[in-house]
Amino acid sequence: MDDKVILLVEDNADDEALTLRALKKNNIKNDVVVAHDGVEALDYLHGAGASAGRPPRAMPQLVLLDLKLPRVDGLEVLRRLRGDPRTRLLPVVILTSSKEERDLVSSYSLGANSYVRKPVDFAEFTEAIRQLGLYWLILNEPPPNKAP
Amino acid sequence: MAETATSLETMQLTIERKIQIGFAIAVFIIVAVGAAALRSTAATVESAGWVAHTLEVRAELEATFADLIGAETAVRGYVITGDTTYLTPYDSARVQLGGLLAELRALIADNPEQLKRLDSLATLVSVRLERSHWTVDTRRTGGSSAAARAVIGGRGKELMQQIRGMVRQMEDEEGRLLAQRSAALQSKARLARLAAWGGALIAVTLAVIASALISRELAGRRRAEQALGETQTRFRQVVASSTAVIYANTVSGATFSPSWVSENVTRITGYGPDEPLQPTWWLDNLHPDDRERVLAEMPALLANDHLTIEYRFRYKDGTYHWVHDEARLLRSAAGTPVEVFGSWVDITDRRRAEETLQVSEEQFRTLAVTANDAIISADSRGDITYFNPGAERIFGYAPEEVTGKPLTVLMPERFRDAHRAGLARYLATREARVVGKTVELAGRKKDGTEFPLELSLASWRHGPEVAFTAIIRDITERKRGEDTLRRHTAQLEAANAELDAFAYSVSHDLRAPLRGIDGFSQALLEDYADRLDGTGKDYLARVRSGSQRMAMLIDDLLNLSRVTRSQMHLAAVDLSALARGIAVDLQKRDPERRAEFNIAPGLQVQADPGLMRVALQNLLDNAWKFTGKRPTARIEVGSATHDGRPAYFVRDNGAGFDMTYAHKLFGAFQRLHGAEEFDGTGVGLATVQRVIHRHGGRVWAEAAVDGGATFYFTL
Repeated sequence: MDDKVILLVEDNADDEALTLRALKKNNIKNDVVVAHDGVEALDYLHGAGASAGRPPRAMPQLVLLDLKLPRVDGLEVLRRLRGDPRTRLLPVVILTSSKEERDLVSSYSLGANSYVRKPVDFAEFTEAIRQLGLYWLILNEPPPNKAP
Repeated sequence: MAETATSLETMQLTIERKIQIGFAIAVFIIVAVGAAALRSTAATVESAGWVAHTLEVRAELEATFADLIGAETAVRGYVITGDTTYLTPYDSARVQLGGLLAELRALIADNPEQLKRLDSLATLVSVRLERSHWTVDTRRTGGSSAAARAVIGGRGKELMQQIRGMVRQMEDEEGRLLAQRSAALQSKARLARLAAWGGALIAVTLAVIASALISRELAGRRRAEQALGETQTRFRQVVASSTAVIYANTVSGATFSPSWVSENVTRITGYGPDEPLQPTWWLDNLHPDDRERVLAEMPALLANDHLTIEYRFRYKDGTYHWVHDEARLLRSAAGTPVEVFGSWVDITDRRRAEETLQVSEEQFRTLAVTANDAIISADSRGDITYFNPGAERIFGYAPEEVTGKPLTVLMPERFRDAHRAGLARYLATREARVVGKTVELAGRKKDGTEFPLELSLASWRHGPEVAFTAIIRDITERKRGEDTLRRHTAQLEAANAELDAFAYSVSHDLRAPLRGIDGFSQALLEDYADRLDGTGKDYLARVRSGSQRMAMLIDDLLNLSRVTRSQMHLAAVDLSALARGIAVDLQKRDPERRAEFNIAPGLQVQADPGLMRVALQNLLDNAWKFTGKRPTARIEVGSATHDGRPAYFVRDNGAGFDMTYAHKLFGAFQRLHGAEEFDGTGVGLATVQRVIHRHGGRVWAEAAVDGGATFYFTL
């Protein structure tokens, strides 16, 4: 069970807390690793910087990626993930406030697997998180661990 | 040409004269031969007469001599016998001899020699008769012996000898004359034969020559006739295939009567070949507006012997054609007008082309004179040939100041070399860098000031030369305007970029705190419910409601801004289908509501499909919302004509509004109803208006309080 890590890339502490609360309320008990900006996220996934030396088996089951991030933004993170063979197939769900058309287009163009807008209404937000968890952690067959 | 004809005539005359001369010679010869023959015949007859004459003379001589012999014999018989009966011959001889000698005299009256001999003979005969008479007398009186002596003694024998000699002489003379005449006749006959043969020969030769000449002449004439025939055929064909109708009129006094017209008149005008020969045909078909002018020109034909005139003429099919008529008057040797020959060509096409050209020239002139732009033409040397009033205004030169001067006077110094090089290159290689294009350059006015200009240069052929026409516009103002525009555009772009960044930022950042407010309020309600009383819970509920409403406002504002910022892509949009889709969604949203949608089919517009959906969605959302308190909502979508243009409308039977506030309807955040009555942000109609304005259309509403509302829009 603990190999099914969720990587939450979120700079806003409120959103982080709400997301974790929503996950908990939906009984999603997977480990959640939080990266507070793009650099942290990339370090974690590509085993550089603070995460150097971490065994590659700890690749997350799902990445919840915000777009507006300090240092390296979400779209850039996505581009680098897709450009690296180790993370090329990693399921990435964009979880963000915006539904600007250009964000949608850019995200899908760069290979996002899904795009979910965070609702302001917390009840709706919780429901969105529930469905995400159900779909991506249970229903969806993840890609093989080893990249082809 | 005339000279050739004259020499030809001379030559022909010569041939005819030759033939005439030949015939004259032949006739002369034939007459000469005939005369010779006649003369020869006459000579023969004459000579035969002479032969007869000679024979007659001889016979007379013989008869005379015989009578004389008879008389002598009778005398001798008488002498011997004394019988007087013997004297009968003697007596008759005496009677006859006188007659015979007279006859002889008459016969030989033309020959004096013979007459002399006859005189001698007559003397000798009379002497002999005297002697015989004496002898007879002697016998009568003297008896026979005396008579015998007289006979013997007389010189009777001698006399007879003399007479015989004389007769022989005369006979010989006649014989000689006969021979002489025969010889003359012979030679004459030979000459006549010779003349006849010679004449015949010459006549035959002449006849042969004349016949040869005549047949040669006839052959020549035949050839000439054949050539003439061919020429005539060719002429007919040429005329028939020509576009010119040839005609002839006979003239008597000042009256012209058509006498001949070429066959092509039918092909060209459609009239039958005889119609143009009707006396009034020409005048009848002359265009009434041209008649007076043409008739006024006619006397000039008699005065100048030729006339060129153009007029309209009605063809058989009733259409009028312009014709060019060229007539020439022929006069008799006395100078009286005899005949008019003319040619007649349809020049309708030329006239039309001329008129078109005239119109085109007029258009050009008007254009060139009224144009605000400078229009300047130059020849291949680059010298100005035309300078319009616009050019005067722009450059400050009068046309006569610059006409013939090089174009470089209109340029600042620094462009002149480039212009000369460019012109030379264009003329040498036809490689156009400026020709056919519009370029921005600088010009130089008469007062020396420089100004920016826009130049469009075209080249055209002027005979063998190349000419140029430039249209020049002073773009000082435009440049200034462009600069301003560029500045404004840059400002606008910056503002838009800012707005975009702002909207993007709002989209991301303004919602996140709201989510926090709502989320943590909810967390409080869930986790700390036991420590909150009803009022606390109500406050938290209000906090959540406020934050959610705020989120809605932000979303609507972003939509409005998106409508403004998005790119327009026009396409065919089926408003009817779009409205039906939205209506289905609305009904699904509130399935318990009773609503009747009446959507006209086939509402097709050219619009941006995305924006059109936003507008229609807003209008139908409104209609749905404001009919919420009706037992049955009636919502209609249709089209009407407004100011001649199609207008589309969404009509409902809802709450309506007071038209007093209609002007506030489309402002952002303007609401005519309280949120308690109908919720909403007041951005929807502002968005609709923005969409319609972006399509160049107009939106307006008609409504009454509690009487429903109709929203119209055009595109």
